[in-house]
Amino acid sequence: MTLPPPGQLLRRVFAALTHRSKPSATAAMEQTRYRLMVTAAVVTTVFSAIGVKLVIATLFSHGGEPRQHHALELDTTTTNRADIIDRNGNLLATSLVTQSLYADPKLISRPDEAARKLVSALPELDYKEVYGKLSGDKRFVWLKRNLTPRQQYAVHRLGIPGMSFEREERRFYPAGNLTSHIVGFTGVDNNGLAGLEQGFSKRLNEDPATPLQLSIDLRLQHVLRKELIATIQEFRAIGAAGIVFDVRTGEVMAMTSLPDFDPQDPTGLNPETLFNRATLGVYEMGSTFKIFNSALALDSGKIRVTDTFDAVHPIKIGRFTINDYHSLRRALTVAEVFQHSSNLGSVRMAQVVGIAAQRAFMAKMGFTRPTALELPESGWPLVPNPWREVNSMTISFGHGISVSPMHTVAAAASVINGGVFHPPTILLRQPGAPIPGEQVVSRQTSDMMRRMFRFVVTEGTGKSAGVKGYVVGGKTGTADKQKGRHYQKNSRMSSFLGAFPMHDPRYIVYVLIDEPQATAKTYGYATGGWVAAPAVGRIIKQIGPLLDVPTVDESAPEILSATYLNAAGSTNWAQQPPNTPTAAAPNPPKGSTVASVPAPAKTR
Amino acid sequence: MKGKTWLFWGGLIAAAGAVLFQTSYDVQDLEEKLAGLNRKIVTEQESIQVLRAEWSYLNDPAKLEELARAHLALQPTEARQFVALDSLPMRPAQAPDAAPQPLPLPGRGVNPALPASVVPVAARAPSAPAPIATARLAAPVPAQAPQPVNTARVPAPTPKLSMDKALEKTPVIVPAALPVAPTVKSAPIKPSTLIPAAAKAPPAPAPAAPVAAPAPTAAPQPVPAALPPGKMAPNAPLPPMNRPTDIANRPIPPAPSAGKTQASAPQPKATDSLGLLVARLGANR
Repeated sequence: MTLPPPGQLLRRVFAALTHRSKPSATAAMEQTRYRLMVTAAVVTTVFSAIGVKLVIATLFSHGGEPRQHHALELDTTTTNRADIIDRNGNLLATSLVTQSLYADPKLISRPDEAARKLVSALPELDYKEVYGKLSGDKRFVWLKRNLTPRQQYAVHRLGIPGMSFEREERRFYPAGNLTSHIVGFTGVDNNGLAGLEQGFSKRLNEDPATPLQLSIDLRLQHVLRKELIATIQEFRAIGAAGIVFDVRTGEVMAMTSLPDFDPQDPTGLNPETLFNRATLGVYEMGSTFKIFNSALALDSGKIRVTDTFDAVHPIKIGRFTINDYHSLRRALTVAEVFQHSSNLGSVRMAQVVGIAAQRAFMAKMGFTRPTALELPESGWPLVPNPWREVNSMTISFGHGISVSPMHTVAAAASVINGGVFHPPTILLRQPGAPIPGEQVVSRQTSDMMRRMFRFVVTEGTGKSAGVKGYVVGGKTGTADKQKGRHYQKNSRMSSFLGAFPMHDPRYIVYVLIDEPQATAKTYGYATGGWVAAPAVGRIIKQIGPLLDVPTVDESAPEILSATYLNAAGSTNWAQQPPNTPTAAAPNPPKGSTVASVPAPAKTR
Repeated sequence: MKGKTWLFWGGLIAAAGAVLFQTSYDVQDLEEKLAGLNRKIVTEQESIQVLRAEWSYLNDPAKLEELARAHLALQPTEARQFVALDSLPMRPAQAPDAAPQPLPLPGRGVNPALPASVVPVAARAPSAPAPIATARLAAPVPAQAPQPVNTARVPAPTPKLSMDKALEKTPVIVPAALPVAPTVKSAPIKPSTLIPAAAKAPPAPAPAAPVAAPAPTAAPQPVPAALPPGKMAPNAPLPPMNRPTDIANRPIPPAPSAGKTQASAPQPKATDSLGLLVARLGANR
């Protein structure tokens, strides 16, 4: 049997249907044909649409509906907050996934048994408290937050119905107290509340896969903290701050403020403990500021290092009398003013340079605004306004202006590194990236300042900071602390700013001790040279090898020609009789005798 | 004909359907597998994170320092222990037909061309009873002297001794600009000579070798035999310490002292580690 073509069949059917209306047969035929055309067009459109969709769905949509599961990408993390690591990749802060235990008391049939079981698995819970929670009317109670995997396993094993776990994250600080002031801490819901956790909170949450790498070196941090603790104990001080700074890049290699705290549990602490003395605290720096006074004087071109200044007659201005701590009763050269830390000489140098130049120089050194350091705890310096003559005088020897230790270190780095001020940073500078810097003093000034630094350690107030082989230079500082409107005689800040190696400075080690008490070993002195300088010496001795600083012979001609300076201001070491450069002679250690490292067995 | 066509198309459709179903189930299986793997990866990543945190916690510098002080005989490196590469003498070139001449070495290196009796005893064989060692050392050298062949006078290991000695005895910093005259000074008494012989590594049996075989090839052997104690000298100034780590000095560590160290130093056990972590996670209190 063969079917007629569909058109013919339809026509017959329609013909049969329309048979009765004979007179208008032709008209009816027209109408029918028209209807058929429409129907065919609609059907064709629909079917071609279906066909097109079919082609798209099968050929162009890569195999149908989107898949439910995708392979995880590499280098992702499961946490929502990035790690913080030190410059060598050691973890300083990380997020751990923990499980928190909660219960639905409605589902627990026998609360007493469940509570007893749970307390047996988690002994630190209290039975009564758990029982009270489990027998309540709520639909959700927290039983314990942040279980470790082991604890979770133990609870799982009990198989108590109605108890479940909720995935949570918790910030963990493996380094603990060591970096507490730098890294800071977070709150319960992992929002940063202090330190870098606060300053980079957004960045840590937005890019959890890339750890935040700091310029801090954990080893240096440890050495610094250890020596500061030893110094605090020896001199019964109330606090200390220390910084190790790379003068070529502006990176902070280590930074400690004592007392410090456990970032795991920062609640309920004395605010003094949470206070970062290294960046937030602003202090009158005392004689350390003579670095900048001398650099200003030399850089102005009006004063040369051989010029002499009267250091005999006290200066009276208003109700103040400026005097020297221990006067030599003679005129001093610039080198000697720096060496003996003479206030009178410093004031006279500042008078020659002038107030406006001093003010501009201090602004250039960054002493009028917070440092560029990324920590949210950056202190505003206390700068006199207006900057009068008396302010100019006191600032020349470090009083009347309060800056943070970080200010001092960053500015001192620019004085000795060839005159380029690098904004301090606590993040690792990418290798190859340009280091921002601004020329603030000339190379010649910087070269002379290096010699003056070295001179202080070879023959000045900072002898005890010397370490054989590392050509240490530096400047002591002792400032009386202000309580109310008066300076206290017996509470002071003793500091030492050391740098090494002075023929080509690479690192600054700065130590500030808050209110040290003199001991019998220091003959009743608690000044920077007796308290902080020995600590700096011990620190340099330990960190020098870690920082890969080559040791040199300090009496070698090329070292002497780069670092020599004598009291008269001459840099020509060859003129001296051969035994005069006592740089290499081992200075008997003065001051502190507490060593955090036991002395090596004396067998040779 | 018609039936066959139907059969053909029907079979094709059935086959396609079956294959489609099969593929679909396969895909479903794979998806489940993938989901399982993903879950596993996440779990692993989390445990890795925990382990990294624990590793960092256990590597706390303060803790490491304490452990190192308790168990190692090492001290912090000092500046004098560094030697610039430039200040090291080069190994002298072998000159087979050249006349034996003193090797110009900076520092107080032992001159190998000198008779052994000239060389200070302390610098040579600090471990063995000195006179015997000197006698043994001295014996082969005069025996060598009349031999016409020069090569035997400059044996290969001898400069090596000088290198080591120089390394050990050069002042820490030798400025390149100030060449030290190659003079043989009388060496100061080395600390190793002060140490009782019992506290040192047993002398190697090599000194006996030249006596047994006085062949020219055996002549340089006594010199290396003196080397191990000489090399040990900078590292072994700790004789009176009852440390279990001084294995080189004491073949059998005394049991009670070892036990004491074990008891006094809290050793983190492998099973303890998570407990330590618990202790650190302070919120659990």
